[in-house]
Amino acid sequence: MAARAQFENSNEVGVFSKLTNSYSLVAVGGSENFYSAFEAELGDVIPIIHTTIAGTRIVGRMTAGNRRGLLVPTQTTDQELLHLRNSLPDSVKIQRIEERLSALGNVICCNDYVALVHPDIERETEEIIADVLGVEVFKQTIAGNVLVGSYCSLSNQGGLVHPQTSIQDQEELSSLLQVPIVAGTINRGSNVVGAGMVVNDWLAVAGLDTTAPELSVIESIFRLQDNQPDAIGSDLRDTLIETYS
Amino acid sequence: MRIYSCHFCSSPVYPGHGITFVRNDAKEFKFCRSKCHKNFKQRRNPRKLKWTKAFRKAAGKELAVDSTLTFAKRRNVPVRYNRDLVETTLNAMSRIEEIRQRRERAFYKNRMRGNKERALASDKKLVESNPELLKMRDVELRIKEEKRIAREERKRQEEEAADQQDEEMDVSEEEESEQEQEEPQTILLKNKRRNKVKF
Repeated sequence: MAARAQFENSNEVGVFSKLTNSYSLVAVGGSENFYSAFEAELGDVIPIIHTTIAGTRIVGRMTAGNRRGLLVPTQTTDQELLHLRNSLPDSVKIQRIEERLSALGNVICCNDYVALVHPDIERETEEIIADVLGVEVFKQTIAGNVLVGSYCSLSNQGGLVHPQTSIQDQEELSSLLQVPIVAGTINRGSNVVGAGMVVNDWLAVAGLDTTAPELSVIESIFRLQDNQPDAIGSDLRDTLIETYS
Repeated sequence: MRIYSCHFCSSPVYPGHGITFVRNDAKEFKFCRSKCHKNFKQRRNPRKLKWTKAFRKAAGKELAVDSTLTFAKRRNVPVRYNRDLVETTLNAMSRIEEIRQRRERAFYKNRMRGNKERALASDKKLVESNPELLKMRDVELRIKEEKRIAREERKRQEEEAADQQDEEMDVSEEEESEQEQEEPQTILLKNKRRNKVKF
């Protein structure tokens, strides 16, 4: 299921929320509309938590996590950390990371098995990521961008990357991650796909500006409606290339 | 709200106090007041300034290595709230503080032990090397006696002088005239010599 939502007139859904297979974080907003969009889809399945990180609402960009764990930056206050611990299920490990690159959502892109990280990340941080999230860590760039978390959105079913990623890079990433990868855009042509949407194994939430072709790419690559991702290869790619070239 | 400790002097920094410096590598330095911040900016080493905790610990003046000091630290992995746990933690905190204070007192006592003997020994050494210090009373008395004699001597002289002045009053005028005559002569002599040198 793919849904469209908006956070206080902003389409950058991935900035203000975080979605994984076992929990979801949502920023504290002026109204509950954005939260309701999540609640409508997720309901009682997984906990949806209102939180701030380091006093900011950009929870999606500050944190990185998957089914097993959640990583928060060093600026996170003790109160926020405690709130997250009390709201998340016990099976989810939480750890605060002391890392210079504090926007963890921008420098880490992960699903339940693998993680791509910024090439400049520290050695200890890499170990903590592997430890807490239970993933294999690869230092990578996407289409020459070091901010892998911003330009890639990943689930256990597939991945969407920056539209200018070359075919070789896509193939390399796809063999590294062991999931099909497609290059695409979000929010009517925005190339920051990581920040423009959130995805887990059965739900994707994109910005309100996302066009129908973009949404159908998302649905097929993340297998949200039992579509085979091969479908993109034939008909959809032509439409996309026509639109954005 | 967390109460941080000052990077420089290790005193507590309460919310709304002090200043924070964030270095380019994202390390945060919290300072309790401008004094510490200024010292930091001058690149002073807190271990070398006597008023900082770092100095006192480095110089062995305070308890530095102790198990009671390892409890208070920043933890990155949170634990779920549990009322019983909080209660036991609070109890433990006061108990640990008690133990820490006792150990600190013992440490101080231990550090100060033997000071009396050491002071006594150094004093003894001083006296041995300067034996006159022991006879301070004798010296004082002698000086006092000398002063008294000198004072009496002066008094006597003044009295004699006063008696003589009355007799000398008549003589003095003649002496003065003699002196006046002598002075021009010497000047003339000097001038003569100068003239000789010139030629």
